[in-house]
Amino acid sequence: MPAASQIKVMVVDDQTSMRAMIRRALQDLGFKDVRDKASAPEALASVRSDRVHLIISDYNMPEMDGLQFLQNVRADPVIGKTVFIMLTGSSDREVVQKAAALGVNNYVVKPFAPAALKEKIERVFGELT
Amino acid sequence: MRRISIIQGDHAVVSEPDVMISTLLGSCVAVCLYDPIAKVGGMNHFLLGEPSEGQALSAIDMQRYGVHAMELLINGMMGKGASRAQLRAHIYGGANIISGLGSIGSSNAAFARRFMETEAITIGHCDVGGTSARKVEFLPHDGRSRCTKVSQQVAETAPVAKPQPAAHRGELELF
Repeated sequence: MPAASQIKVMVVDDQTSMRAMIRRALQDLGFKDVRDKASAPEALASVRSDRVHLIISDYNMPEMDGLQFLQNVRADPVIGKTVFIMLTGSSDREVVQKAAALGVNNYVVKPFAPAALKEKIERVFGELT
Repeated sequence: MRRISIIQGDHAVVSEPDVMISTLLGSCVAVCLYDPIAKVGGMNHFLLGEPSEGQALSAIDMQRYGVHAMELLINGMMGKGASRAQLRAHIYGGANIISGLGSIGSSNAAFARRFMETEAITIGHCDVGGTSARKVEFLPHDGRSRCTKVSQQVAETAPVAKPQPAAHRGELELF
């Protein structure tokens, strides 16, 4: 069982309030190393220079959306295997299917409860301690 | 002129002229957002600001919160060509009408102001608080709004949960 406190997380969402809410939910779940960025290009640069174990990214972002971000991560020989969980809107069924084809590890539909986020993370990492 | 009326938990985004979005508010808050360059505007109507720390919530509970309502509104506007940096806001509602609900209206209004500050969105008009219900009419194409105090009763209950699309019910089991 992996310890949540050992998992480094990058949260990417263009809305500051949403990033704060996700950070808070992760910290409540025991995650200690949580970084965040407001855009995918910033996050990509950050995780390339300082790797993380888990990326939690919004889909709906200007400049580079979540799918493009995922594609860039998977195409990178160094960070290509990083666990990637996408946050989508309730009407983004097609997005989820595209994300699955691109190799997303899981997805969470907004609005989500912290318990749902925990469940999706545990489906990838196993039960967290 | 086409009229769109929204209720608690709803939002609407419009980029065409000659459309009015309206709503009736008690302790709820409505945020009218517009992009004066892209000529896109929208309004939401939410029951609660944000969950308190450590509160156990379901996804359906979360629909009532402003933090989600604001995300839906902003995403809807960006989908119609608005730019986050150009957004302007009017904030209405947040009255403390029913004594049993405490200062929920004030909390809602405080959330809306704080949200705009956090997201660096300029506030135009702000008519919040007091003890009267309000009727808000908004012309999203040009960002003009009108808020009038009304004497009628406004339902102050949680919205009935909307049926969720398949992805939300977990039917899209890819993993």
